[in-house]
Amino acid sequence: MANVAAPSTSNSFSWQVPAWLAPLAVVVAAFGVVPFVASPYVIEAILLPFLALSLAAVGLNILTGYAGQLSLGSAAFMAVGAFAAYNFNLRVDGLPLIVTIILAGATAAAIGIVFGLPSLRLKGFYLAVSTLAAQFFVQWALTKFGWFSNNSPSGVIDAPPLAIAGVTFDGAVGRYLFALSVVTVLTAFAYRLVRSQAGRNFIAVRDNELAARVLGVPVLRTKLLAFAISSFIIGIAGVLWAFAYLRTVEPHGFNLDRSFQILFIIIIGGLATIRGAFFGAALIVVFPLILSRLGSAVFGTVFDSGVLDMSQRIVIGALIIIFLIAEPDGLAALWDRLIKRAHGRTEP
Amino acid sequence: MTRHLTDVGSIDSSSTQAAGPDVASLLQGYDPGKPATEPILHLSGISLAFGGVTALTGVDLRVEKGEIRAVIGPNGAGKSSLINVISGVYSPDKGTIGFAGQTYAAMRANRVAHLGLARTYQNLALFKGLSVIENIQTGFAPRVRSNFVEQTFAIGRARAEERSSRQAAEDAIALLELTAVRDRPVSTLAYGLQKRVELARALVSRPVLLLLDEPMAGMPAGEKQELAAYIRTARDSLGTTVILIEHDIGVVMGLSDRIAVLDYGHKIADGTPQEIQANQAVIDAYLGIAHPEDDAVAGEARA
Ligand SMILES: Nc1ncnc2c1ncn2[C@@H]1O[C@H](COP(=O)(O)OP(=O)(O)O)[C@@H](O)[C@H]1O
Ligand SMILES: [Mg+2]
Repeated sequence: MANVAAPSTSNSFSWQVPAWLAPLAVVVAAFGVVPFVASPYVIEAILLPFLALSLAAVGLNILTGYAGQLSLGSAAFMAVGAFAAYNFNLRVDGLPLIVTIILAGATAAAIGIVFGLPSLRLKGFYLAVSTLAAQFFVQWALTKFGWFSNNSPSGVIDAPPLAIAGVTFDGAVGRYLFALSVVTVLTAFAYRLVRSQAGRNFIAVRDNELAARVLGVPVLRTKLLAFAISSFIIGIAGVLWAFAYLRTVEPHGFNLDRSFQILFIIIIGGLATIRGAFFGAALIVVFPLILSRLGSAVFGTVFDSGVLDMSQRIVIGALIIIFLIAEPDGLAALWDRLIKRAHGRTEP
Repeated sequence: MTRHLTDVGSIDSSSTQAAGPDVASLLQGYDPGKPATEPILHLSGISLAFGGVTALTGVDLRVEKGEIRAVIGPNGAGKSSLINVISGVYSPDKGTIGFAGQTYAAMRANRVAHLGLARTYQNLALFKGLSVIENIQTGFAPRVRSNFVEQTFAIGRARAEERSSRQAAEDAIALLELTAVRDRPVSTLAYGLQKRVELARALVSRPVLLLLDEPMAGMPAGEKQELAAYIRTARDSLGTTVILIEHDIGVVMGLSDRIAVLDYGHKIADGTPQEIQANQAVIDAYLGIAHPEDDAVAGEARA
């Protein structure tokens, strides 16, 4: 057989940065530098929602980006996680926070499997509609049954303080470090998962379900596993959102808008990349703040919150369309290209 | 006919022991009276229709273990449909499928790999988001027993499985000379290379029966000959039985032990390359001479 042309060897002798170095540097900086330089405002208004949404996007990316199952129910699974954590914490005395969080994730995973069952028959648009059912059902159930919010009259409840083994993470920095630890661990898990046999199965089912089935990939099990793991991670993102960021637990924050927001994050950031979830979340969180600064600087008082909200939606909508058309692989691909170009310049 | 049956995988040897070809059955095709050997695949009376379009009508096919069995016929004759029936993609309307000592009314797509069946597709069915080696490793799926926790942390059964699936994939990559592109995303490869990756993916599980739907379509002549050599190697070294759909008559004549000819969903001939070459019905089918019996299914079926 005609031998395959050997790949270009121009890079083979150049100095190569190990792939794990960049993420490691980011983690070290996030733990070691950010807490000392970031103001409480930056932590509360930017970093905490960024972390929670990044984690939710990592979770959704496993389901939608890797396994190809479109879901509009992410916020519902966040809500399940948040309320499950609240109730486990409230009703089981002395339950360690770590266990509470794992149980909350497991609860979200169980609900995720239930709402993932239609995926065994439905695809694409129809599946998305059926995950909408999860969104509306969960929100309805949490509002309807007072038990979930311990019969609080407003339905809004204070999240308990974060404490592990007697150490409380109460201040902004403490909650940041707590959220960062959870996100780091789960992201590392997701990173390993998508590179394992299970991750290859996700992609196989996404790219050609019939061929995967004929090859002996357990398609049904693979889909349900994607729903379970995705919902587990998104559920824990919900715990971070409620316990570390907002410090209240309420169903309203976990609405359809939030589900779309997480979907937009993975579209803008890049489907089927772990990094993309963080790029996309950064853009979605930071962008409105920049827009509001910019707006009030240029238009003064005319640029009130209504106008801000409106222009935000318009610009985000436009961004998504631009990304879908011009860069379907998202910010992660854009980033790779920039790196490659910069690398190419330093090469002889 | 030469046979090399070194490793036939998981098939129960008692039910499928092929004690050399029976000369009569080779010359005559299927003889229901006295099957001298148990064929590895035995289709009988397979019919399949899509709405009003008949794809297969009462097709019988006997495939002996270790042979390379070509299926030829004009476009729309039902060749791909036949492969789809054998691999469980379609359920036949009538007929039975005997495979490795069991008889089925229909194969189930999610079971065929576990039974030792692998296939390629006329139109490529690779996983675009995976690299060459990852695509090929996917073919190892029927052997995987570990769960996602073991796989994620590379512990327990997953360790050995990952090692063997990598090794099997590397072997297939070496065999099909894909080393230079092993880590490339498959979607970036030329068509002919993608066809080879698909063949490697099918071979990695060491199938008992390999179904190839036009594996050489669109390849230059030289590459076809080399692919034919690999198919023969797979049969000779693994004992894999091969069903091959191919339009290039030269390749088919040189490679196959026996040839079945389909036309308008009917099997019109079955025999050795020499017999097929001399068969008047086959010559007519290829020259487009209408038979009285074809008129019933002609027209829309051929459109
Ligand atoms: N999925 C399908 N739906 C409808 N008709 C089909 C389908 N698959 C095959 N056919 C029809 O069955 C007949 C045989 O097709 P096929 O098996 O693909 O032939 P071949 O592979 O010999 O070219 C054709 O008339 C084709 O149009
Ligand atoms: Mg065909």
